Parts: sequence; structure tokens; C-alpha cells
Amino acid sequence: MSDYTLGIKELDNAIGGIRKGSNIMMIGPPMSGKEVILYYIMYHGSAVTENAVIMVTTRESATHILDWFKEHRLVLPLTRIGIVDCVTKTLGGAAVETENIKIASSPVDLTGIGVKISQFFEEYVMKKNIRKTQLHINSLSTILMYSNIQTVFRFLHVFTGRIKSAGALGIYMIESGMHDEQSIATLKQLFDGMIEVKSENDKNYIRIVGLSPKPTPWFEFEIDGANIKIVGSI
Amino acid sequence: MIETGIPKLDEFLGGGMPKGKSLVYFIQPGVEGEVFGMQTVYSALKNGRNCIFVVSSTIPDIIRGQFKEFGWDINSYNETFFCVDAYDPLIGAPSKEKYVVSNPESIEEFSKMIINIIKDSPPTTIVFGSLSTIIDLCGEKETISAVRDWNKMAMLYDHVMIYNFTAWPYSEETLNSIKGDLFNAVISIGGIAERVIFGQYFGILKSDWTKEIKKSMLFRVLRPGGIKLYIPKILVTGPFDSGKTTFVHALSTRAISVDRLGTTIALDHGHVDYKGFSADIFGTPGQERFDPIIKLLSGESMGVFLIVDSTNPTDFVRAKQMLEITKSYGLPMVVVANKQDLPGAMAPEEIRKQFNLPQDIPIVSVVATDKKGVFEAFEVLIDKITEGRI
Repeated sequence: MSDYTLGIKELDNAIGGIRKGSNIMMIGPPMSGKEVILYYIMYHGSAVTENAVIMVTTRESATHILDWFKEHRLVLPLTRIGIVDCVTKTLGGAAVETENIKIASSPVDLTGIGVKISQFFEEYVMKKNIRKTQLHINSLSTILMYSNIQTVFRFLHVFTGRIKSAGALGIYMIESGMHDEQSIATLKQLFDGMIEVKSENDKNYIRIVGLSPKPTPWFEFEIDGANIKIVGSI
Repeated sequence: MIETGIPKLDEFLGGGMPKGKSLVYFIQPGVEGEVFGMQTVYSALKNGRNCIFVVSSTIPDIIRGQFKEFGWDINSYNETFFCVDAYDPLIGAPSKEKYVVSNPESIEEFSKMIINIIKDSPPTTIVFGSLSTIIDLCGEKETISAVRDWNKMAMLYDHVMIYNFTAWPYSEETLNSIKGDLFNAVISIGGIAERVIFGQYFGILKSDWTKEIKKSMLFRVLRPGGIKLYIPKILVTGPFDSGKTTFVHALSTRAISVDRLGTTIALDHGHVDYKGFSADIFGTPGQERFDPIIKLLSGESMGVFLIVDSTNPTDFVRAKQMLEITKSYGLPMVVVANKQDLPGAMAPEEIRKQFNLPQDIPIVSVVATDKKGVFEAFEVLIDKITEGRI
């Protein structure tokens, strides 16, 4: 039985869903559509499967993310959406915390980010009694720009452990080609599987490694607004 | 004595910190602990002391904003409050602060700045907003050895040194020296976790100027307000006639029940103070017609005693149902096998089988009428609640 799904039918079928407590790295080159995929998973997780979704953002402000969904006419169930915004404060923007948005003071402040994640977890699991929670981090690459690999490893070590014990799902985005192989290999130890995205000849592909006995085939996908459409496989 | 400004902590520490001492707030990741250092800063300023705050994980102005969120006006202390900016240079931004660490990734630069401050300042409370960030940037061994020097120097110049430290999984060696000999006092700040962190506490792990105090206090962080203590609530539930009221009264230093002809119809309420841990105890009625009250009583509980009559196996179905109603799923729980003195009482392990209870839920044998096993059960539950503490 699968505890979590991504909402991309072909991929979900290929791996048979994702077991609770899984931590997954999503890796791919810049501009390959990773961000939209992550938003798509966020929408599917919260609106379709009625999970709580916590998104840690180090790239876009929380209001920007919420606006993105509005622009695409997707209604997020806000009672189950939590965004930890690590951008707004450092840019000097007006940062007001709301029910959905918690503000961390900077991407260096892993302690603060950790506190905000824990607070959302407490709210969803203990207060709202939501059994399934997803944690998305977008992205580790920004965090790695400010902190060294050991620091990020320690941070993830704690939070991948929490995901396991809470039976949640963790998805952590990282840019390929930005970090040395050794850093990626170090971080990989913490994850149960990977969502790989690649671009070739103006086409984008996605596959999942480590969550099924064999890697899934590479699926070619297209982004249509806020939709991920699988158009073929190799 | 210099007060930390944390309620109860100063009392535990015999009035606060003597001059020249160092103290670390040892914070479990995910627990809102950095406010401890900030509250100490504000308390020192209010008491007319000089204060220096070393900022290494964000822009000093953001820290000033955080003080404001807590309702602590530090702007009026321009003469006595200064920040050491060890963040802006990291991101290549200009700094407005009086003290700037030009390269926060170099422990030598850090040391130069801190030692200068220690030597040039009148007795000051020096607070490090995040020692862990300094360790992350400068290395574990290097930072530990520098902190050792700073603390020694501070002692000579009558300063007080306070550090916020988030206990990420650093090397054993680093964690041991931080918990061990590096500081005069270690205050552990942890979370009560059962799947997720849902309560926070602090306690003294070590203090070389007071006798050992094994006491934990639960706290909440309010904005505005800062750290506020609170008394946890523990729920006592179980089927009709299992002995809940007797249990509550046996455990409590004072208790009151709302009952009719010996049957609880609203609630039992007791307060217990035992081995430094205090809690409010709420007993629920057992009869089904009172189920709506149970829901009301169970909100915000920290842990649950489930009382069963060991002589009555039919109880177990109802007991399970009551757990559902209390929504106490996921809370730390202890099953109290009551009436162990009566003929036909089942042994705890037998109850575990009948009940199909997982191994991690403890069962304690109790004779509530004789207060037998009552405090053992309380200790087991408190251990469950504070499990995973450092």
C-alpha cells in the first residue's frame, strides 16, 4: 500500500506510491522545471490527498508562491499549508507572519528554520490531527551557498530523522551541476530515493531512483501552466 | 549575582550568575530556545548592566526586530547595548555596527574581536546569539578552544558569558565538552516529542555554584512576553469503576472531585508535586453518557494514564474506545493495571496480550486504594513525556 503519491500518474504507477517516512532528493539542472514539479506535488498533496504540506523556501518569498497558485487558478487548502520563508527578511521586505507563513531570519539561520518547521509539524499533527504531512525544501542549493556541507548534513540528519519518526514525506530540491560530486554523495546517504530531472535537446525528462527495485524509465514531460504532462518514455 | 531573567531559573541558580561565570543554553534542534539568550540580554539591560550581543546568523537589525516582537524595547539602551556583527561580512554587505568581525569564517578574527571587547569593556553580559553558527563556520575544535580562552579571560575581567547553542549532531567530543567542562553552567532546553515536538522544557544540567537541582520546567514562548512557565495537564481516563478517582486522589497533594453517590459525573481534579515535577491531573468520568465531557477535558494534555480494572477483561474494549474519544492518540501513555490486590487480577503482561498493546506502552501494577504503584506510574509517565531529553 502506498502512503504518499506525487500526483503524476505514470510515476506513481511505476513506483507503486511512496512509503511513509521517506526522504527524497529531487535533483536536476536549473530551468528544467523542478520548481513547477514541486509546486505540482504540493498542490496534489494538500488539495487532492488532503495532507498537510510544509514548504521551506529559500528562493522565492512566501507571498510569491501563494500568488503563483492564484495565477494558475489553483485553490490551496490554506488550513493545511505552511510556508517557512527564509528570503523576505534578508531582502528587507515587510515580513508579517500569518497562519500560513512563518518567517525565518536568513538561510544561514538553520536553527530558526528548524524551529519553524517543528512548529508547523506540531500544529498539523498535534492540534489539527492530520496524519500525513509533507515537508518540501526549495532548495538545499541556496542553503549550501551559505553553510558548508557538514552543517547542512547535520541539519538534514535531524530533519530526515524527524520525517521518519513522524511517518511524513520529505522532498528536498537540489540543483545539479552546482555542487561537487562529493557533497551530493554525502547528502545522498540521508535519502531513500531520488527524483531525477534532466534536459536534453530541449526536452525535459524525469525518473525516480531508489523507491522501486529498478529505476523507473525516463519519462518525457511537458509543463502546461501548472500541469505536468507525461508525453512519452525512453 | 547577575540575573538570567528566565523565570524560576534564577531561583534554581541561587539568585542568578556570579560575576566571571559562563553559561550555555544547550538547545535541542527544533525547540525555540534562542529566546533564552535574548531574554537574558533584556533582563541585564533592564537591571542597568552593559550588554553585548554577538549576532552570527542574521542581520543585527533583524535581531533588533525580534526583540521588539517580544515587546522588549532595546532602543532606549543605546548607551549600554551593542551588537557584534558577524553576519553582514559573510554575505558581503556593509555593517552599521560598532563592532564587526571582518571575517566570520576565521576563528582568529572572532577571537581578536571578543578578546578586545573583554579587555576594553566594563563588566558586561556578553551573549552569543548562536554558538552553533560560529562552530559551523569556524570548525568544531577551533571554536571550542577559542571559547575556552574567552571564558577564562572573561573571568578575569568580571564579565558574564552566555551562549545559545543548538545541539546539532556534532562530534561526541564537541558535545561532551560543551555539556562537560567548557562552561560553569549548562541549561538544557528540550522538546517533548512523540512523533513531533509538542512541548518544551528547560532544566539545569550542571551548575558549579549551586547544588545540583534536578528540576524541569515546561515553558511556552509568547510574543510579546517571552518565556512563560506553565503547568502541564495530565489526563486520567478509563472505563467506569476502574478506579480513576481513587488514583487521582492517591497521586495528588490536593484533589477535588465532582461526583454523585461515588461515581464521577464531571471531573476529578488534582495537583501533584513529585520529585521536582508538578502537574495538574484531570480525571474523566467513565460512563458513556459523559463522553462529551471527556473531549472537553482532554484538550492540550501532555500525557495520559489509562486506568483499567485488572479483574475485568470486558473493560478493555471500552478502554480502547475511550482512548479514541480523548483523541490522545500519539500522546505519551501509561496503562495503570489497577486493583492488583483483588482475586482474579490479571498480571500486566497478560493484560498487554488481551489488550494487544504495543511493547512501548508501559503497564504498571497499581493498588490505588493503598497508593501502591501510584507514584511509580507517575514517574514512568514523566519519563515517557521527557524521553529523548539530553
